[in-house]
Amino acid sequence: MTIMQIIFLITASVTLFAALMVVSTRKMMHAAMWLILVLFGVTITFALLETRFFAIVQLVIYIGAIAILIIFAVMLTRRSMNADVPQVNRNWWLVMVSSLALFVGLVTVMSVWEGFFVTARTAPPGGENLVQLGTALVDPNGFVLPFEVASLVLLAAMVGAIYVAAERKEK
Amino acid sequence: MNATLVIEWVVKSLVIILVLTGGFAYTTLYERKVLARMQVRRGPNRAGPLGILQPVADGIKLIFKEELTPHNADKFIFTVAPVITVVPALVITAVVPWGREISLFGRTFTLYLSNVNVAVLYILSVTSISVYGITLAGWSSNNKYATLGGVRATAQMISYELALGCAYIGPILIVGSMSLVDIVEAQAGVWFIFLQPVAFLVYFLASLAEVNRAPFDMPEAEQELTAGYHTEYSGMKFALFFMAEYIKMIAVAMIGVSLFLGGYLGPGIDRFPILGPVYLFIKVAVWLFVIIWVRATLPRIRYDRLMALGWKVMFPLALLSVMITALVLLFVES
Amino acid sequence: MNLSDYYAITPLVFLVCWAIFLLLVDLWIPAGRKGITALLSAAGLLIALVLVLRSGEQVLTAFEGSVVVDGFSVFLSVLFLVSALAGIALAHDYLQRLGLERGEYYPLLLISTSGMMLMTYAYDLIEVFLALELLSIPLYILAGFSRLNLESEEASLKYFLLGAFSSGFVLYGVGLVFAATGYTDFPGIAKAAQNGSLNPTLFLIGAGLVLTGFGFKSALVPFHMWSPDVYQGAPSPVTAFMSVGAKAAGFAALLRVFVVVFPGMSVNLTPLLWALAALTMFVGNIVALVQSNIKRLLAYSSIAHSGYLLMAFVPYGNASVRSDAIAGMLFYLAAYCLTTFGAWAVVIALEKAEGKGLELEDYAGLGHRYPFLAATMTIFLLSFTGVPLTLGFWGKFYLFSTAVEGGFWQLALIGLLTSLISAYYYLRVVVIMYMRPGTPQVQRNFWPLLTSGVGALAVVILGIAPGVLLNLAVSALLKGL
Repeated sequence: MTIMQIIFLITASVTLFAALMVVSTRKMMHAAMWLILVLFGVTITFALLETRFFAIVQLVIYIGAIAILIIFAVMLTRRSMNADVPQVNRNWWLVMVSSLALFVGLVTVMSVWEGFFVTARTAPPGGENLVQLGTALVDPNGFVLPFEVASLVLLAAMVGAIYVAAERKEK
Repeated sequence: MNATLVIEWVVKSLVIILVLTGGFAYTTLYERKVLARMQVRRGPNRAGPLGILQPVADGIKLIFKEELTPHNADKFIFTVAPVITVVPALVITAVVPWGREISLFGRTFTLYLSNVNVAVLYILSVTSISVYGITLAGWSSNNKYATLGGVRATAQMISYELALGCAYIGPILIVGSMSLVDIVEAQAGVWFIFLQPVAFLVYFLASLAEVNRAPFDMPEAEQELTAGYHTEYSGMKFALFFMAEYIKMIAVAMIGVSLFLGGYLGPGIDRFPILGPVYLFIKVAVWLFVIIWVRATLPRIRYDRLMALGWKVMFPLALLSVMITALVLLFVES
Repeated sequence: MNLSDYYAITPLVFLVCWAIFLLLVDLWIPAGRKGITALLSAAGLLIALVLVLRSGEQVLTAFEGSVVVDGFSVFLSVLFLVSALAGIALAHDYLQRLGLERGEYYPLLLISTSGMMLMTYAYDLIEVFLALELLSIPLYILAGFSRLNLESEEASLKYFLLGAFSSGFVLYGVGLVFAATGYTDFPGIAKAAQNGSLNPTLFLIGAGLVLTGFGFKSALVPFHMWSPDVYQGAPSPVTAFMSVGAKAAGFAALLRVFVVVFPGMSVNLTPLLWALAALTMFVGNIVALVQSNIKRLLAYSSIAHSGYLLMAFVPYGNASVRSDAIAGMLFYLAAYCLTTFGAWAVVIALEKAEGKGLELEDYAGLGHRYPFLAATMTIFLLSFTGVPLTLGFWGKFYLFSTAVEGGFWQLALIGLLTSLISAYYYLRVVVIMYMRPGTPQVQRNFWPLLTSGVGALAVVILGIAPGVLLNLAVSALLKGL
């Protein structure tokens, strides 16, 4: 077992444990903090694959922007310090059993597929080819249409967010 | 990966951290002296000659102060928040080059810790993490003023991060690399402040907001929020916030100098590479002087004005600057 | 830079640019005169309609084959653009009356329409997913457009949460299909499916998840739970647009995906589709029986119509019936579009602020006081039922007959039976309108009345001569799918 594998195993177990804590801890703010740990674990996984760009993008976007917005929203909610919200409802065991079944089923299905046992490839030394990635996003033979449509989706969402949130003078 | 290389990295990291903490101590003195002079006072002059031991005295005072943790605070987050604030401040300058290569003890050293191609993105990511410390400190104190300070700090930093990020793009587009070493070396002919005046201005203002300095020091506006997010902190924990704020000041100055003012470049650098850190030091000192000058001159602006400035002026301006830069570069190339 | 790629999708590009232009222009249009925005957006839709019809001559592929403009997409694009026009005609006066007049309505409607159009062009699973988001996100907002109204907010939130949930299904399905085949574009997946160079189980699960996701969008039972509440809470013009546009777009995507990508899987999927169609027809029609609110009634009726539409999918594995079935579905969609907008126009004419004027009792006496409105409503309800000589009859006729041709006579029988059930609640409205005394109050406004008038005329004329529309549907498919 190489050092990399040991690091990966540690990262993976910490990430999974943190993910479990996200859904099981009672305080919302703590759940958000665990979520950050999960996202950080993903960042490390990217870094282990030597994809520097994606590691940092994961950090900037998920930890730097999305998680901070979640924390911001939690701070604005009432009584965010107290933890008197029940964490589970009556059917929690049913959900647990079915999600476990789904997990086992998916793993079983995937394990017959030869791609399941392929070892992960790391990015070429020097990180990913950022120029290639950049041109692919604006190339008609690449992904310009999805890219533009995604920006349009964001525009619509932004207009909507402003519409929903903007203060309006009551008549 | 040989042992000497590892030792070299460790030594360099230690040097960076020591210089930053030492820099923090003396920036406080520098600020108090400059402010005093601007207000026709003398400033601290009792501890040591010219008050040179004042930071040491301050440090000792803070160490011996009583540590208080509010009764209903979230103890764990309350304790780690200062650490979360300091660590990003300490690591952010890891990608800023101090100079070129120098020969010492028969070995050639590079005067930078690492030259990664995603240096600017690294800076952005670390900046975005540094928001957490302040936010969590404000929330975990379970104090209205502190929470308000934390909320304000978060909103302010997120908003200005956008303009800050756009300000980085101009130099990156010109150089075609995100490595700060490449960006500094590309300024051998002309500094980017002349090619990117708008981006420079945006960077300067946004960085003031990002480190919560006057006139954008809303998160700790004494008159409204007592002390903002660190109202409940005292002793060493408070000292850590204080330290983070000043180290961040030094860091944004170093990054700004590298992006727009030619970094370690200066006359004679080709013959004496050892001059690199000296030039960097001088430029950073000037930058810090301007920051202090701004604090001495301008009143704090209102919070809604601050947000309006960030979203309605700085961000569009920065975007426009990026667009114009890109178009000009396109025409120059073709 | 290759402009021919953009040329192929000119109407889409134009519509998107127009929506952004409207967003900006709207800033300078004073509140209270948003009629100008409405007119401008209608003009944009008309121009886009012309552009669509002009490009309808040949099959164009663009963006490395991820987008295909063929007869199928032209037919449906016209349908969507007409729906958007109707959505605007119904909306302007309604929004003004309910104090909701805001310029954002129109650009959002246009963006949603462009998402629907992209859905019909999409020839790649990535595009399908993005088009789904593009059409849904504006609809989430439009559903909550009546902001101070709690029901509308509830509708918006429910639609958003379930929509996000269903998008997750689609995305997971797309991911699994990609994992199974290594392709996201339709021809690539189809080729992999033919060579057998794929993992069949993963592929099947992926297809099932995609079906589930679109099932949510098109409100198939058992994924229909959200739709009555959303249809009831959302402002009526939005509901009308949503019940036609979003549903048709969901079916369009399903059709493309199933016919092009999964033809080989019909053995596995047909029983599933069969059950879904039968269940949807039954549940939609039976629950509609007990509704007393016209919006909820129409919501359940729209669920039931999803079931009839799904019937066209069941024989898709049978190549000889496939194109007939699809033509039947296109015909049914067109009929459903005309009828739905007409019916909603009448609902809007009677609706008052704060959700009043929506109970079936409020329609009492309509036949004596406002014979025109009552007559058009009767025509629409008869068409929904499928009474002979209306457009709806021919729609059901074509669908049922292809189902029988494909060997699924039991399904056609179920369709017939549930249509009989539906006659009860549709005709109940007619009975209330004509037999019960009452003094209904109607807002007389030109555009909704025009919409219902045109709708009624189209339903009657096309009901007498359905061949015109059927020929259009069939010729749309001749150019290939």
